[in-house]
Amino acid sequence: MAMQPHSKKRVCYYYDSDIGNYYYGQGHPMKPHRIRMTHNLLLNYGLYRKMEIYRPHKATAEEMTKFHSDDYIKFLRSIRPDNMSEYNKQMQRFNVGEDCPVFDGLYEFCQLSAGGSVAAAVKLNKQASEICINWGGGLHHAKKSEASGFCYVNDIVLGILELLKYHQRVLYIDIDVHHGDGVEEAFYTTDRVMTVSFHKYGEYFPGTGDLRDIGAGKGKYYAVNIPLRDGMDDDSYESIFVPIISKVMETFQPSAVVLQCGADSLTGDRLGCFNLTVRGHGKCVEFVKKYNLPFMMVGGGGYTIRNVSRAWTYETSVALGVEIANELPYNDYFEYFGPDFKLHISPSNMANQNTPEYLEKIKTRLFENLRMLPHAPGVQVQAIPEDALHEDSDNEDKVDKDDRLPQKDLDKRIAPENDFSDSEDEEGSRRDQRSYKGRKRPRLEKGSDSKDGAMDEKSIKDEIKSEKDDKEDIKGSIDDNKKDAGLTP
Amino acid sequence: MVLAAKNGEDARNGRRSRGPSPNGHVQTESSDDDSPVPTDKIRVGRDYQAVCPELTPESLRKPELLADRALLVWSPTTDIPDSKLEDYIMLAKDKYGYNGEQALGMLFWHKHDLDRAVLDLANFTPFPDEWSVEDKVLFEQAFQFHGKSFHRIRQMLPEKTIASLVKYYYSWKKIRSRTSQMDKQARKLTTPREDGTPSEAGSEGGSNEDSDHDEKKWTIHRGIRRKSDTSPRSGTSDENGNQGEGGACSNCGVNCTVTHVTPKGSLCTSCFQHWRRTGILRPTSGPTAGKRGAPMGARHKRKPPRGMYINHDDLAAMASGSAGVLILKAMDRELEALHRQIQQNKQVVSSLKRKHSESLEDLRPTADNSSRINSRWTNEELLLAVQGVRKYGKDFKSIAEVLGNKTEHHVRSFFVNYRKRYNLDTVLKDYEKDNGPVIIDDTADEKVELEDALDNNSSSDVICVSPTPPAKKEFKNNKITIAQASK
Repeated sequence: MAMQPHSKKRVCYYYDSDIGNYYYGQGHPMKPHRIRMTHNLLLNYGLYRKMEIYRPHKATAEEMTKFHSDDYIKFLRSIRPDNMSEYNKQMQRFNVGEDCPVFDGLYEFCQLSAGGSVAAAVKLNKQASEICINWGGGLHHAKKSEASGFCYVNDIVLGILELLKYHQRVLYIDIDVHHGDGVEEAFYTTDRVMTVSFHKYGEYFPGTGDLRDIGAGKGKYYAVNIPLRDGMDDDSYESIFVPIISKVMETFQPSAVVLQCGADSLTGDRLGCFNLTVRGHGKCVEFVKKYNLPFMMVGGGGYTIRNVSRAWTYETSVALGVEIANELPYNDYFEYFGPDFKLHISPSNMANQNTPEYLEKIKTRLFENLRMLPHAPGVQVQAIPEDALHEDSDNEDKVDKDDRLPQKDLDKRIAPENDFSDSEDEEGSRRDQRSYKGRKRPRLEKGSDSKDGAMDEKSIKDEIKSEKDDKEDIKGSIDDNKKDAGLTP
Repeated sequence: MVLAAKNGEDARNGRRSRGPSPNGHVQTESSDDDSPVPTDKIRVGRDYQAVCPELTPESLRKPELLADRALLVWSPTTDIPDSKLEDYIMLAKDKYGYNGEQALGMLFWHKHDLDRAVLDLANFTPFPDEWSVEDKVLFEQAFQFHGKSFHRIRQMLPEKTIASLVKYYYSWKKIRSRTSQMDKQARKLTTPREDGTPSEAGSEGGSNEDSDHDEKKWTIHRGIRRKSDTSPRSGTSDENGNQGEGGACSNCGVNCTVTHVTPKGSLCTSCFQHWRRTGILRPTSGPTAGKRGAPMGARHKRKPPRGMYINHDDLAAMASGSAGVLILKAMDRELEALHRQIQQNKQVVSSLKRKHSESLEDLRPTADNSSRINSRWTNEELLLAVQGVRKYGKDFKSIAEVLGNKTEHHVRSFFVNYRKRYNLDTVLKDYEKDNGPVIIDDTADEKVELEDALDNNSSSDVICVSPTPPAKKEFKNNKITIAQASK
């Protein structure tokens, strides 16, 4: 694939000046204001005038139901802080209320965020731009009929769906500290979208993103998860990001890329636990940009807002191929950036729990998976009968179910004091319970009313044993996989 | 390892206590159980996956017909140089109160025609700040009461939207410390008046003498010079003929832009009016000339921030209402312009610094490389290299830099080839010794040895370095040795 280092690109930028005015609620870490702060920095750095600036239309309910269920969008459209009490049941059903509160202008906020990403995708389809940026987007946790992790409408999925009209294969990369579960789930069974997510894994929201979650059905091997530990620094991140993305580009050969630039992977984030600097975070953008593919950049997480706006400003400059000074220009929110008023930040001295060996093992394992991909140009040819898909995906579930629990148990027994297991040990039983609960979700009825994890665990283990024989080969390989991943010492 | 694990634990706990986070991550066991939809597994099924649209065959694609679904508000132009654009934005900002975005929007509306945009600027003055002083005070009060519950705050400011409240909150949040400093200043002004201690004006007592100092204060305090000022303040004392240049009032001690020279000294407008009407000096509870002249016992107390002082005219204007708002606005704008200038200067300084250091890098090798890179070793160079090993150890790069005409690689191979011959291991040991407790005598001896060896064998290229320390000769440092050796 052709790589061009410092090329000037046509960059389109999507922003609505209202977006900073939405407020999730007192004490809520998600602050749309960070998008306005970024915008203001761009303006004062003089980057604004180097891009095409668009004010996106508000996405219509029709557009949003390209992915989301009608019920869910209807609910979002009608709920307001003053009529919440009438919607108790639906709020439970759609997971709105706690993490995803009902706030003033919620629906409009979703419309703006989604509108930006959809418009960006259309722009790329028109080939009227090489890079499109929507910092108001990137809400990667939203599910088809469910809000999650501060996200209501999945603008990324909507954007990718738009891209798929003109692109056979779209690559999605997620550098948020949280797993990009919403996008992964939406495209879990398709081979036209590969989702690659780098995230903290283990006792961390949203709980998904295991190394062994690789997609299902036709989409098997088209979900790539890179589970990481606390304290990822710039060098470690690059050491895993570059080889994996290179390999993915080589084998998947996408014709468009979407990069979710969640800034909660930066050092000092209110919720995150990585140790990246603005430069290290921006390197991912730089690297993806070199492939010269139609490129969409969206925002995402990021809860220390001064650093979020720093990172996104820097990444906009990277997209433009313009160097900007380390000294911040004066701007409307200048005081936020004290005491140093610089663009770049220093990493903290937190310990990096990702050893080179651990990263190497993950890498090897993922490379093995990527080798399973049919060579890209032939992807369309691979025919899978319609009915086979279901069976296949069922299989996938069982496979995961098979190994998850017992293996975790095994880990506990084998390696109580290994490098990575401290968090797991601490709340091991709870975790098992949780993974059990999660596991049951693909409509496995058994034991759903029981709260006693240990009990269920046991019964399921028995159940698994009976299934074990016919799955021996798969399970074997996954066990290896697990060991490779450094879960055992 | 145990320690590290423990630290990690602490960090995690610390993070947990900080505010809410996406569900699952920080929740306790019970809430996790209650959570209606735990998300731990990617689910498969019609209810979860997106339906991918068909790929439009290339022949049917009509990209030009796709609607943009967004409104273009600015597109870059190469016709207008950056500096001109900058000037235009500044003009729009300073003269018409546009923000950068609005200014560019105007230019874009006129299809990047700068002249027409400039002409049109006056026709569309953007909305004046819709937040009156009352609103702001009310907001502050409501905020103290309700915190960030904008719904509740809105009950006190019913005509504002939540959006507008949020927007104002974010712009006010960080500068409220600045505001409070001004309040402090105001408090400082009132308190001394009550207890009659000379204060802020007193501490600035010399202000009418040192005019250069005055200048500095202006920029800091007001930033607005009278000559260029367009605010209505300039009209306040026009009718008075015998105006002074400005400075402190000799009666009340307050600084003002216009003083009136009288037999009683130069007075501010208020004192002047009082004196003219009554014939006596206006009684003030504040610092007076007399008090200022007296030893200033309590002077160090209640000093205003350095370089800051109260201007009487401004106080009068502030008190009179609308003019005050204008002054504040003008001050804010000035402050902003100065801030901007500071940051711009900082950017320029750092870019110059970088350029400087870069060009230095460029210059260095060319200056040194009077002799080109040459892989042949002369005697002098060999000696230098040995010295280099003594001084830099195995830092071949540094040695190569000293030599000037050798690459790092050359030095490395020198080290390998001549290791035995020049007993480099011993030299290296000495270097290592240096990094521990320093033994200077040995090093000197070493050098002497070298020098002697060179003298003895100057015709041949054989240099012997004896590891045994012979007679002691003192040399201050390597450089001397090298200099002598190379002669």
